[in-house]
Amino acid sequence: MKTDVMVIGAGPAGLSAALAANQGGAGVLLIERESRPGGILKQCIHDGFGIVRYNEKLSGPEYAFCDLEAVKSRNIEILKNTFVLDLKMKDSKFKLLLQNPDKGVFPVTATSLVAATGCRERTSRQVFIHGDRPAGIYSAGTAQNLINIHGYLPGRKCVVLGSGDIGMIMARRLTLEGAEVLGVYEIKSEVSGLTRNLVQCLEDFDIPLYLNSTVTKVHGARRVEGVTVAAVGPDYSPLFGTESYIPCDTLLLSVGLIPENDILEPLGLAMDTSTGGPIVDQQMMTTIPGLFSCGNATHVYDLVDHVSESGATAGSAAAGYCKKDCVQGEIEVKAGDNLLYAVPQRLVPGKDSVVYFRSARTMDNVLLQVEAGEKVLTNKKYIRLRPPEMERLVLEPLPAGLEKVVLSLKEAETDA
Amino acid sequence: MEGGLQLVKKTLQSKGFPQVELSERRGAVVLEGEVQNWDDYLAAGYGAVGYGFRGVVNNITVSGLKNCFTESRPAVKDLSLDSSEFDVVIVGGGIIGCAIARELSRWDLKIALLEKEDDIAKHTSSRNNGMIHPAMAVKLGSKKHHYNLRGNRMYDQVAGELGFELEWPGSLALLTKSWQILLGPLAKRSARKKGLHGVKVFSRRKVKDLEPNIGDEQRGAFYMPESGIVAPYKVTVAYAENAIQNGARLFMNTMVQGFVMEGSRIAGVRTNRGIIQAGLVVNAAGIWSDRIAEMAGDRFFTIHPRKGVIAILDKKTRNSQKLILGRAQLNGRSHTKGGGLTPLIDGNILVGPTATETPDREDYSTSAKELQFLEENHLPLNKALKKDDFITYFAGTRACTFEEDFIVEASKYVENLVHAAGIQSPGLASAPAIAVDVTDIAVSILKKKADIKANPNFNPRRLEAPNPGKLGLEDRNRLIAANPSYGRIICRCEMVSEGEVVDAIHATLPAHSIDAIKRRARAGMGRCQGGFCTPAVLNIISREINSDITEVCKREPGSEMIVGRTKDKARAGYEN
Repeated sequence: MKTDVMVIGAGPAGLSAALAANQGGAGVLLIERESRPGGILKQCIHDGFGIVRYNEKLSGPEYAFCDLEAVKSRNIEILKNTFVLDLKMKDSKFKLLLQNPDKGVFPVTATSLVAATGCRERTSRQVFIHGDRPAGIYSAGTAQNLINIHGYLPGRKCVVLGSGDIGMIMARRLTLEGAEVLGVYEIKSEVSGLTRNLVQCLEDFDIPLYLNSTVTKVHGARRVEGVTVAAVGPDYSPLFGTESYIPCDTLLLSVGLIPENDILEPLGLAMDTSTGGPIVDQQMMTTIPGLFSCGNATHVYDLVDHVSESGATAGSAAAGYCKKDCVQGEIEVKAGDNLLYAVPQRLVPGKDSVVYFRSARTMDNVLLQVEAGEKVLTNKKYIRLRPPEMERLVLEPLPAGLEKVVLSLKEAETDA
Repeated sequence: MEGGLQLVKKTLQSKGFPQVELSERRGAVVLEGEVQNWDDYLAAGYGAVGYGFRGVVNNITVSGLKNCFTESRPAVKDLSLDSSEFDVVIVGGGIIGCAIARELSRWDLKIALLEKEDDIAKHTSSRNNGMIHPAMAVKLGSKKHHYNLRGNRMYDQVAGELGFELEWPGSLALLTKSWQILLGPLAKRSARKKGLHGVKVFSRRKVKDLEPNIGDEQRGAFYMPESGIVAPYKVTVAYAENAIQNGARLFMNTMVQGFVMEGSRIAGVRTNRGIIQAGLVVNAAGIWSDRIAEMAGDRFFTIHPRKGVIAILDKKTRNSQKLILGRAQLNGRSHTKGGGLTPLIDGNILVGPTATETPDREDYSTSAKELQFLEENHLPLNKALKKDDFITYFAGTRACTFEEDFIVEASKYVENLVHAAGIQSPGLASAPAIAVDVTDIAVSILKKKADIKANPNFNPRRLEAPNPGKLGLEDRNRLIAANPSYGRIICRCEMVSEGEVVDAIHATLPAHSIDAIKRRARAGMGRCQGGFCTPAVLNIISREINSDITEVCKREPGSEMIVGRTKDKARAGYEN
């Protein structure tokens, strides 16, 4: 098989990418490893999706349905239950070996490749929880899948570690299903997810949130019998004497998401250690020409609307690449003072660009500066910035010949 | 032996244990009394070694350390095995017991293997680094050396017959001080004496050329090509399945609680499923082998568990290292085996194990301190590795005796009991050879009573399900065309298909729990640790064994994964 643009993953990013590539005149093949498209949206039955794009609060499946209808209406081929077994480059083309139950193993050659592979959850072992390995330890996303897709209840008395968005949403979901959520424990001094989830999921349901504390040990050999929680010091290490034992049958983890790029890494593309995803330009092209990344595989977004936006950007640029209408970004974007990261990390001059960034800490009355050498290109004021809340900024086209632009955050003088 | 006891007494007094009382029982020295802590218990036990006794029975109690130990026991209690008769009853379904069952199945015998857990290889046999050691770190003349060397040489044949993966990457025992390279000729001579082939001394630069990511502390290495890797639980499963295919019976959730003795013979084996009539009993009970010996009145040794914590790294690290790496252990008396970085047959790198003495035989919990030790001591051997690469970690215990040697012999006092006990490292490498010897001993005992014939239907080759990942493209496509479930991947990290999970569920030795499937088919063993495949595997198990989803377990009964269905309370409300 041959295609102009191959899109891996039919979640929100991949659906938008496939649609945009098709609209750009390219032949598109979209593959999805699950039996139904929609990605993680399928299990997100809560609302809040589509506020930016549709000015409406949709559920996850509703949001996915809209994109899926559009993809279907343009007869874009989706191969379901399909996995990438191998990916190589030959003569600047992407050579993939795919497998599914209907076709077996088969090769596909693509001129351009869009990786919309999403992210995975950090596990209990990756946050170094100790004890034995009993049943009853679930990542929040796995629990969400069990409850919302399969109708299974994973536990009745739960402790949640980590105040990421899925963790807070699952604390509410379990409460609604009649389980008891004893508390959400967060090692940092502030909540890790969006403020709206703190209010709507925890506060509205009287679920206690414990900041500066963590789970240090899981008890029980067969099923979880309890956990030890402890307060932590500034270096996040548990404080001696603050441990207490909480009987429970389930520990849910919401301790971070990791962009999934394992199938791309053998190609030798440059990665950004602060996002966990590939380095991209504003067309979402990686350092390998023709290879695009979008959605949570590039960096973990807060809002699906922005995931879709990145997918559409990648898809239309991938179609452009097939028509040789795509150059690689050379201008380096540096996340400077007080920034956790900024995406894209490269820019092509003469084109608009959407830049996403997160502050490194919670800051009030801040000024964002975009500088090229001595010259300040943009100034923007923010009343409050928090690391869990990503900011979106549209940059004017840059002049050619720049080497580097630096984004930095400066605390403004308070007007006393 | 009176003189021997005096000498032991003197030694223990000089070590500060005058309160320990000594006696001799059937050639073993028995220690009794009370000490303050576990270190003292160990010091007293080791202090009694080397005075001509068969073994040390350490019955010293430690104040404050009573009955607080972890031990899993089967929940079932029935009479399903009561009055059953077997020529041989093997106690313990670790690699030793399973290998013995397979070797015994060459003979026309009724064989039963009893395992107290719900699956085989749940203790030491799945909690080690999977290395087939060269017979280098073992004392010449010891049973360890004898079995290690022979077992190592048998692995190619056994792997071919039983169909498990085996590689020989070779190992480097890294030197940390420049002068140690002067020990090279000595090491080579020792290796020759021990029967090893191809041992070489590598300079610092040669090591760096071979392993570009090697840590900077190294000052050269001893290279041992006869170092192999396997998945130890898969080897155990392979042995067990071939034993079953040749007529042996395996009984899970079956725990030995005592023996019915008739004079100096074991007549029956008391279990939670009734009394089994046994012609001969093989003690392969691993960390509990001293308890089994005690039940037969033949305890002449003591198992003191030595815990090892292990971490597994993401598969993407695998290409950063070719050989098994560890630091050379030049202090021959040290029991704290080094551990290191072992490439795994399935593509990860294993860090560890640690080695710490513990009173608790089945405490497999890990602590931050132990992980930190692995991170600080072992990880730096390969500079490409970092703590972020850890995907999981766990612990195991080694079944050590105070003599620090294997016990492979017929009981001296019970006519029909054979011990394969105290099997610690290098037990995995030694298993094939131990099984052959135990079989010879058992058969010669049985031949005294009856004529034992070879099993006419014995097939050394294990019949196994296809492994689509190992097939060529055409064969794989034929397989998927015939059965599309081999084309449906359910574990994306390890690329495991639904068909392989179904095969594991219905295998010769069926796997009915999440963890058992993980050990057979690798679903859930990857970097997401089952985050994505767990719901699918739960559903497949439930469907294939026709049991409700709330009954599917992570491991043994009591580890159910799902507690109910959503809305079940609301539904119950409507129905009322």
